[in-house]
Formats: sequence, C-alpha cells, structure tokens
Amino acid sequence: MGLDRADDAGVYKITDDLALIQTVDFFTPIVDDPYWFGRIAAANALSDVYAMGGIPKTAMNIVAFPAQTMDLAVLRQIIQGGLDALTEADAVLVGGHSIEDKELKYGLSITGVIHPARVLTKKHLQPGDRLILTKPLGSGIVNTAVKAEMAPAALVERVTRLMAALNRTAAEVMQRFKVHACTDITGFGLLGHLSEMVAGSGRGVRLFSTQIPIIAESVEYAAMGLIPAGAYKNREFRQAMITFEASVARVLQDIFFDPQTSGGLLISVAAGQAEEILSALKSEGLEDAALIGEVMEAPEEKILVK
Amino acid sequence: MKEIDARGLACPAPVLQTKAALREESPGQVQVVVDNSAAQQNVQRFLESQGFETTLEQKGADFLVIGRCAAAPAERSRPAAAPETGSQKILILCATDRMGYGDDELGLKLMVNYLRTLKEMGPDLWRLIFVNNGVKLAIDGSEVLPDLQGYEQAGLKILVCGTCLNHFNLLARKQVGETTNMLDIVTAMQLADKVISL
Repeated sequence: MGLDRADDAGVYKITDDLALIQTVDFFTPIVDDPYWFGRIAAANALSDVYAMGGIPKTAMNIVAFPAQTMDLAVLRQIIQGGLDALTEADAVLVGGHSIEDKELKYGLSITGVIHPARVLTKKHLQPGDRLILTKPLGSGIVNTAVKAEMAPAALVERVTRLMAALNRTAAEVMQRFKVHACTDITGFGLLGHLSEMVAGSGRGVRLFSTQIPIIAESVEYAAMGLIPAGAYKNREFRQAMITFEASVARVLQDIFFDPQTSGGLLISVAAGQAEEILSALKSEGLEDAALIGEVMEAPEEKILVK
Repeated sequence: MKEIDARGLACPAPVLQTKAALREESPGQVQVVVDNSAAQQNVQRFLESQGFETTLEQKGADFLVIGRCAAAPAERSRPAAAPETGSQKILILCATDRMGYGDDELGLKLMVNYLRTLKEMGPDLWRLIFVNNGVKLAIDGSEVLPDLQGYEQAGLKILVCGTCLNHFNLLARKQVGETTNMLDIVTAMQLADKVISL
C-alpha cells in the first residue's frame, strides 16, 4: 500500500500468500474509568486491522504517564483493560514503551496478518454496492454531554460498552461475502470517512438518513449545542462533496459528522448480498447494524443524503 | 443584559458557562463572546433550545452571539401583571395524542377539545410537555397546531421530546415548541406545583 490515499493501516507483503498489516493509535482518556479507557483504546487500535480484513496477532503498548501526580494503580487498570481487549481478539501483548508525560495517553501498535489478495481498502466502491454500518453514531456528542455532566450514568455505561466492543465479529462476517471496500468510523465521522471512500472512486453515494443507526440521546444533546468541535471541522472540510435534502434535520447532519471513538465498520458489499450480510451481522449479535445507503454511477464523487 | 466572555474555552465549556448564567439570573437578553466557530454554533444552538432568538456579529477574530428571550418576557412579566392568578405552576405531561381508552376516534376529539380548553387555566398553565405519541400533536397537520402555536406566542413554554420525534422520524415536521430531553422534563416536574399526566 502506498501513501497516495488514506488507508487504515500499512500492509507489507512477505510471500505470495502472507502480508503483514501494521497500525498504531493512541489518545488521551475519553472515559473516566481507567479500565474501560484501556479497553476502548485497544478496541480502537485493533479496529484498523479489522477494517482491512486482517487478523490481529501481536500488540505493543504505548504509554505516556504522569507518574508524579497519578497513582500507578491507574496505569495498571488501563493496561488490564487493554489486555482484556487483546485477549478477546486472540492477540498477544509482546511489549511496549512508556514515558513520563504531564498528560496521560495510552494506545497500542497492532500487527496482524492477511492474505495479500484479500486486503480490503477504502477504494473500489462498485456501482450498485450497498453500504452497511455496524455501530450506531453519536458517541462523540454523548462524550461531550459527559464532559458537561449532563449524561446519566446508564447512558455513559451503554456508550462505554459500545466503544469498547471489538469490530472482530463484523470483520469475520465480512469475510464470507463479496465486500468491495471497507473502513472503520473514527475521528472524521461517518460522512468524513465515507468522503474518503468516495474521493477518487469516480462513484457517487446516496445515504438514507432515516436508516442510519444513531444513539437516540445524541439528538437531544446536539440540539442543545453539545457538539464536539471536531464535528464542525469535519463538516467544513467535506461539505463541498455532500448535499443534504431539506428534510434532513440539522441535528442529524451533525450526528453524521460526529467524530467517533472506536466506531463501527462501514462496509461496501455487492448489491445482491446486502440482506444476507445484514442478517448474518444481526444474528452474530450486531443488532444495530443497518443498510444505510448505496453506491451510484453518478453524481461523480458526491454524497447525497436524503 | 448578561455578558459572558467564553473566549479561550473549548467545547462544551462555552455552552456550560452560558447555561450557568441563565440558571443564576434568567436574563431577558444575553451576550456571549467566543473565539471559534464551533463554540459560536454550539452557543447559538443552546440559546435557541432555551427559547432565545439569536443574532450573530463578527468582531475581529471573535464572535458575538446575542440572544433575546422570545418567550420569557411574557412569562416573566406575568406574576407582576396578574398577581392574583398564576399563583401556581401547572405542568401537563401529554404522552398520547388521544384522551383515554375505548374509542380512538372519540379519544382524538376529546384531546383536541381538551387542548383548546386548556387556556381556561390562564397563567397557571406553566409547561406543556409532549412525549411518545403525544409529539404527533406538535407536528404539521395536527388539528391543534394553531392552538398550540397561539399558546406559545402567549408565553407558554411547550416542550417536545427529541428522542420521540426521532423515533417516529418526525424531527423535521415539528412546528411548535422546543425539542427537549429527559433531564429538562425531570427538572420541570420538580419545579412544578402540580403535574398532570395524560
């Protein structure tokens, strides 16, 4: 893979039937609970490997920790969270590196394997493909409401588990179908990441706003202005590519631009297999998975949201 | 007029500062200075969600969001104008678009009649909240829409559940009231002297 277009991870071919897939991601805490922060960070790092169709094998921790001001027990909980996510992924922690820093940061570098002919990228949307999203949107807005101390504990827990959920099942189900392109939804939001798939593809995309799964509470918070700055940046950056029909409420548009932490996979699957992959995802427990749009011949490299 | 300087603050801090200022003083007019467009849009949305009409001015690199309370002046002047009435705060939670069980057609008629007759409560009627199927009374095509809009213009605060609108896919069709959330509903119930649930 070159660097000419944004991809989720780097791929290096070793033999004709084996390639390495490598990725790294780390960030500052997005939830208060250290254990769940660790789990979410690991799920997020693993996700890049899953989005490309790979199988994660080994991992290295990356830690920046304020040892002068913070109890080491916090770090142990974070690492335990990361470890539990890796165990769930059947990947092995082989090492890591830590430095002292004023601000806590944690993440991982993940190495996986993949057959070189089976690498999935953001390219190759095919006309007629159906788009499937596997997790609901709105975690960035909910996290902003959490910062504002306006989100009830039950919602915090629900969204924490959503962010900590691995994309492993979705990636495994995807292997059984004719998938042409895939990415995971993170900081650029649904529309930002979809724009990356559409740019340079020569294809257009039509999204059905009412089919897109969202965390219901995010609507209320968006209406109150609890929207992360990143959502506005994502809109500004990509708005030239996107047309919203008048019926698409502004708050929904914001949710479609909302930066996600460890969001779901966005899968472009051959038209005839859309229903089948959807029911396979649902029967494997991904109940929020939904068919959200389709790839068109035209308008070229534009997204229409209806 | 209340002035808030929220420059140098990252979201959601400017919204929280504005929210705190409104809670402390409930001013009729508020002016918020921010230094980035995300904060500007968020503060503008927040003020609008609280019943303010907003205007925007650019001042060099800063944004000035000015909010004027659309509904509140009437609401606020009410105790002074009519001290003998409005002595209690009645909240009506309307979770259905028809009144009672039995005959649906009758239930719809009764609800229309009920909402029209509500004006007899005068200024005691403090909040009207629509949740679940009740949100369908606040959208275009609702028989009581003109009545509800009239109440709102007269200063009644009408709240419509955002989760419910979204559930029924009616967000774009809401024609009256503010989109609300459970926290606002619970807070309003706590403040009310009397809660009537339909």
